[in-house]
Amino acid sequence: MKLRVQYRGRELELEFEGDKVKAKDLLKAMNLSREYAFVVVNGEVVEEDFYIREGDQVRVINAISGGQG
Amino acid sequence: MKRCAKCSQKAVVYLPHHRIALCKEHYIEWFERRVERTIREFRMFSKDDRVLVAVSGGKDSLSLWHALHRLGYQADGLYINLGIGEYSKLSEEKAKKFAQSLGRTLHVIRLKDVVEDIPTLKEMEKRPACSVCGNLKRYYMNKSAKELGFSVIATGHNLDDESATLMGNVLSWNLGYLQRQYPVLKEGNGFVKKVKPLCLITEKESALYALLSNIDFVEEECPYSVDASSIEYKLLLSQIEEKSPGTKLRFYLEFLRKIQPLLKREEKLELKPCSICGEPTSADVCTVCRLKQRLTLSEKGQGS
Ligand SMILES: [Zn+2]
Ligand SMILES: [Zn+2]
Repeated sequence: MKLRVQYRGRELELEFEGDKVKAKDLLKAMNLSREYAFVVVNGEVVEEDFYIREGDQVRVINAISGGQG
Repeated sequence: MKRCAKCSQKAVVYLPHHRIALCKEHYIEWFERRVERTIREFRMFSKDDRVLVAVSGGKDSLSLWHALHRLGYQADGLYINLGIGEYSKLSEEKAKKFAQSLGRTLHVIRLKDVVEDIPTLKEMEKRPACSVCGNLKRYYMNKSAKELGFSVIATGHNLDDESATLMGNVLSWNLGYLQRQYPVLKEGNGFVKKVKPLCLITEKESALYALLSNIDFVEEECPYSVDASSIEYKLLLSQIEEKSPGTKLRFYLEFLRKIQPLLKREEKLELKPCSICGEPTSADVCTVCRLKQRLTLSEKGQGS
């Protein structure tokens, strides 16, 4: 399935096998750690084992920033 | 499914190093209490102080402003527009919208109006953009706070910023910087008191607070900061943190508790007012006024 992901003001398109993917596998695919990143599905922060399905509104927040303040 | 430790509703946030799961409402409460406790513990300011928040439009500064406002502090914002294309435009917009939603004042300074924008300065100066930028931000923050009558400047530096900076300073044993790495810098010598109320809050906690409080923050990174070495240190620390939760907090807090006091033997840096603008400096003319002089020279050079 194809997933559109809002990430840092851009939209990414990611491809996964099957019809659902766990939030933690999405982070893994984006090479992000749950230490500093999390997934928001349809406006709600979701747990790592939450299944994302095609058509869900997905936003990934990477909290690490370089500039100070 | 994890349940909230306070009300046993479905938890939305799990904090491994505090071993606690919380629902949205109790997470917001937890965050604000932690900020409040940090402010008290380090004697940062009281409800009588007028606090100027350094606002960038990002999650940390907006979360900080939001929390201070909700906790009943008198906090207004200062936004410095760096003139970095779309990034600056977008962040100013978000900062302004947010100020409106709080009903507090946002003071705005445009670097282009007072000196020059960062892209132009980066071309002219032979040092990294972040160093020029940090220098100018500190200068105008301090100057504006005094002119506008604020007794405290609060910045959004979080635990990840502080522990990454600490790591950098430790790796090169930079004693001068280590000496000054404290969440409160006292007023005096022409400097307004500076504090970091989010110093015990991780970057992720700050992003979660912003998100759960419906704060619309800038997610785009400053185009000049992408190669910053602080990101490398943050990633390294997060790898350690993942294996043993609580490492970052311990690294920072134990530094403050055990090492910082040993470094207190402050080397007396002779500061005097800049002969041009009056801001504190160790030379006759401060770095910003010297920058302005170079700028005038290079403009003259271009004109002829
Ligand atoms: Zn709860
Ligand atoms: Zn000066």
